[in-house]
Amino acid sequence: MRLSSLILLAGCSTFLSAIAMQGLHAQQSGEPAHIDGQREQAAAVAADTQAVPNGGRAWWDPGEGKPLARMVEYDNDHGRLRLFNTSGEIETAGHPFFEPISSNGRACVSCHQPADGMSLSVRTIRERWEETGGTDPIFAAIDGSNCPNLPQGEEASHSLLLQRGLFRVFLPWPPKDPWGEGTIEPEFTLEVVRDPGGCNTSEEYGLASDNPMVSVYRRPRIVANLPYPTHRNFGIGPFIGKTGAPALRDPENGEPVNMNIMADARTPTLGTQAMDAAATHLQLLGGLSEEQRRQITAFEDQLFAAQVYDNEGGDLLLGEGGKAFGPENLAYGDIGVLGNNTTRWVFPVDESWAEPQPGLTDEQNAMRASIWRGQQIFHFRTFWISDSMHLNTVGLGNPVKRTCATCHGMHMTGLDAANGWMDIGTTNLPWAREVPLNPWTDEEELMPLFKITCRDDIPPHPFFGRVIYTQDPGRALISGKCNDVGTIVMQQFRALASRAPYFSNGSAANIRELIDFYDRRYNIQYSEQEKVDLENFLGTL
Amino acid sequence: MSMRTISSQLLAAAGGLALVTTTSAQAQDLAFVSCPIIKDTPSVPCWLAEYDGELYYMGVQSDVSAPFTPPWLGHKALVEGTPAADGERICGGIVLEPVKVSVMPEMSPECGTVLMAEPGYVLPFEPRRPPGPSTGQLAFTPPPPPPLPEPPFVARTFEVYFPFDGSVNFQTPRALQEVLRYAEAIGATRLEVAGYRGAVQLSDGEIIAEREGISDLRAREVARMFDGMIDSVEDIAVSSSDLAEPGDWGDRKVAITVYP
Repeated sequence: MRLSSLILLAGCSTFLSAIAMQGLHAQQSGEPAHIDGQREQAAAVAADTQAVPNGGRAWWDPGEGKPLARMVEYDNDHGRLRLFNTSGEIETAGHPFFEPISSNGRACVSCHQPADGMSLSVRTIRERWEETGGTDPIFAAIDGSNCPNLPQGEEASHSLLLQRGLFRVFLPWPPKDPWGEGTIEPEFTLEVVRDPGGCNTSEEYGLASDNPMVSVYRRPRIVANLPYPTHRNFGIGPFIGKTGAPALRDPENGEPVNMNIMADARTPTLGTQAMDAAATHLQLLGGLSEEQRRQITAFEDQLFAAQVYDNEGGDLLLGEGGKAFGPENLAYGDIGVLGNNTTRWVFPVDESWAEPQPGLTDEQNAMRASIWRGQQIFHFRTFWISDSMHLNTVGLGNPVKRTCATCHGMHMTGLDAANGWMDIGTTNLPWAREVPLNPWTDEEELMPLFKITCRDDIPPHPFFGRVIYTQDPGRALISGKCNDVGTIVMQQFRALASRAPYFSNGSAANIRELIDFYDRRYNIQYSEQEKVDLENFLGTL
Repeated sequence: MSMRTISSQLLAAAGGLALVTTTSAQAQDLAFVSCPIIKDTPSVPCWLAEYDGELYYMGVQSDVSAPFTPPWLGHKALVEGTPAADGERICGGIVLEPVKVSVMPEMSPECGTVLMAEPGYVLPFEPRRPPGPSTGQLAFTPPPPPPLPEPPFVARTFEVYFPFDGSVNFQTPRALQEVLRYAEAIGATRLEVAGYRGAVQLSDGEIIAEREGISDLRAREVARMFDGMIDSVEDIAVSSSDLAEPGDWGDRKVAITVYP
């Protein structure tokens, strides 16, 4: 191997289960080790073959069969999103991304809706609930309910999906060894402190079941602009840049990968992600064929999504210097490079773009000026970033005086250019959103809570010590590392306006709440005008 | 205590790696454990530490390429450095150069001092990396690699250094680049990875040793990084010594011997 390539990166039906188990051994080449156990649990949950696919406003049904145009636009609260298929119109009839290829009625498109920026907004989820009486396949027992053993069709059983847009992700515990047979010995013990959905304490699906699984609840990530999170350019090498540990490798060619696809970085490529999703979300127990995988990844690799119109600012592509906007600029941008510098911005908007444009109203020009100011805040407004694992621990010091663009530095997307998981407090207490504990509220917290106790024979977590309370251990469920508890792979900033809520646990209901989280977490003390400008800017991406 | 002095460039290459060459004893070095202090400026903040009633300057915030790795509030730091002979001060602290800073693993919540910027004070130099966007390149450029070896090839030992009580971290892959380069160039067949444990006599006379087992952990983790990396390597031998005689940062290491 050459050095140059090395340096960095519900009712359970026993009958159905018996049939499904026959497919369990059809493990595909290159399949990540954790999928086998997931498939076993997926087989144990009945797939509702009577689920009702029903056309909604902008809803794309599995098996709908109509072509996806080369360019298509959808309205949202901030303006208009455009999808751009660089390979031209997509024939969706017979396409495995769009067809319900398994028995539970879902397709990939079920949770990666074009109108929602190829993710799934909680608004759409609620609409589907109302329109189908809770029978849409997205509410499938396996992961569209808080736990498969709850009575299906009742709102309370799907509260995490209906209120936060969260699907259940079930992962083997202890973690499977991605490098060989068997399991990893975790650096910590994991206790269930709170389990509103009941899945972690379930005898059938939980940690003490015959197939021990941890259930966490996460948002579907955006399936567009994927050449960026899967790039193998700057910072990608055989070792994980933040820890020095070996990076995952592409099972097809052995090359180290970016590890920025999933919230916990568990799958190395779009192909292995498709295998994971097919086994769990689709309950496709026999797995995808090689041709299906090829078709899915080919589609995902050529699709770009971004806002092109702002309700108050008008056409974002109008005028010079707006290369941050629209999917075409993404499709033909520099992929996998840093943008946090004066030669290449993360989101390239020139000052000239914000100059008053002829043909626009004063209000529209004022909005463009605000969007410009938001971009400047993103790049230049410093604040103290502290106690964030895999950021303050990688040579910058704790605290570090930097800007949004320090972490969200990848050109055009705001992703981390290298392996991008870190703990900013979205899932770890005390920063994670929680229902206040006091004698005067009867609101009940939706999210599970785990107590993590790091072993005595390893160094304590730098910022929590040996005991951590978390709603989602994140990457640590895969690595078994104490220092990875609550670390989540950051997401791209594109199509934000079409896919609320935000963060992996859906804890920010809108862009303003997202900004407010950072303001609290890092004591930024944004002015109201700064918040408005940032919100306006983020809404245009 | 004695401390090796090496060039800043070699330190820059380190989380760190250096050939076992240029060392010399130097008097008046300091080694102490104390809370780090961060002091803001109109540009990047300074990192300071107080010892025996005096304030010392360790460095400024930069980026991952910098030879100085800033410490963490919430943790004490082991500071090993040489005070500037001319008493030069930056941000109010006597400059330590060279300086090695290790973050102590246990949490120390009492370490939380943030000093505001002094009105009118500006750093006496232009920071290589401002607190915002960079100029498009890393703050510090690593030295160019040495020429590739010519036959006959010989066994060669490289050392990779670690912070006190630390093992493989974000700096280690960079430190191993030269080892990988050499091993590939000579078609290495065997690697020996030996882990060591250090101890330091502090300036107040106290001796602190790294945790037991750290030598083995270092050796195993580094050996794992080589696993499958060089096609010609048939064997990677791992050994460790947990002996910890008082010395300096150069004892906290893994030695990698590359055999043709």
